[in-house]
Amino acid sequence: MPSDQTAVLADVDTMLRDVLGDFGPDAEITMDTTFRDDLGMESLDVVSLAGRLQARYGNSVNFALFVSTFDVASVGELTVGRLVEYIAESLDKVPAAS
Amino acid sequence: MTIVHVNGVDLHVEEVAPIGDQTGTAVLVHGMTTDSMASWFLTLAHPLAQAGLRVLLYDLRGHGHSERPATGYRLDDFVDDLEALLAEHWKVDGPVHLFGNSFGGTVAFSYAARHPARVAGIVAIESAPPTAAWFGRMARRLARAAETLADVEAIVDKRPLFARRARTASALLAETSIGAELPNSVLCDPAAIAAIDCPVLCLYGADSAVRELAAETERLLPQSRHVVVEGFGHTLLIDATDQVRAEVLAWLLSYVR
Repeated sequence: MPSDQTAVLADVDTMLRDVLGDFGPDAEITMDTTFRDDLGMESLDVVSLAGRLQARYGNSVNFALFVSTFDVASVGELTVGRLVEYIAESLDKVPAAS
Repeated sequence: MTIVHVNGVDLHVEEVAPIGDQTGTAVLVHGMTTDSMASWFLTLAHPLAQAGLRVLLYDLRGHGHSERPATGYRLDDFVDDLEALLAEHWKVDGPVHLFGNSFGGTVAFSYAARHPARVAGIVAIESAPPTAAWFGRMARRLARAAETLADVEAIVDKRPLFARRARTASALLAETSIGAELPNSVLCDPAAIAAIDCPVLCLYGADSAVRELAAETERLLPQSRHVVVEGFGHTLLIDATDQVRAEVLAWLLSYVR
């Protein structure tokens, strides 16, 4: 896994544990972890996660655009890895600050 | 997560900024009991932002991450919340597009009846204006939901991924006066509904009984456009997102610009 993805996964891990609170997983969150079946995320948790992504990455990552390409039923089948890749790609497109 | 205190209650709000030049403002209002802003956030919020709208979302009192006061669940309380959010938190001056899913549409129509000049358009999904027929159905729906959700642990066992949503809805029905207050709300004069002159789009699932209310809505609001989507029921927004999105965006384009 590229190093930028490792860093993003660590960020996402923290955000997911914040969102889920007491309902968070005991197990490690990996690229293969699914939001719905492994983490038990409900739709409102996805909104909370989007808010945290916005706060962390600003407008360089558009999570709403990402989820709107999935319908509500299939958003639960999304893996953490898909999100991490999307974030890493989005960040790649942002010109580095000088 | 942003929580704001307006009209005496803490409400969970979110906002999606318009992409490109702003063409207007949309407020998305969700439905009763197990619904929350998430059903809009994951379906139409972004496509609307992409169409240039500033998109504002909130969880109704007693729902989602908003506060659940013991009392204060008349229709007017919900409309007061929307009015306070627009004036005090979002500080919107111009007319807004109101989107309502199920009961959320009723809140939208009620706000428009109160302030017709402040509403640019209404999209109502599986909904109706605050009429006696609609509130009669709502009373039965609330009573049925209270029965279904009374044994919340049985539901959680069967549908673990629905657990927190079911518990929130169960607490709303068991611990607050919504079941007694909401169906007994004072409804506005039908003349005030008929005075709403903005464009109105009503979407229905062909398998849902809500479409039986379409005739009365058409009579009150002759300018309203009604679309029935075949093969779907009351959860049209979630189950037929693509169709809803296409209808809404085409309708917006036909009159917004």
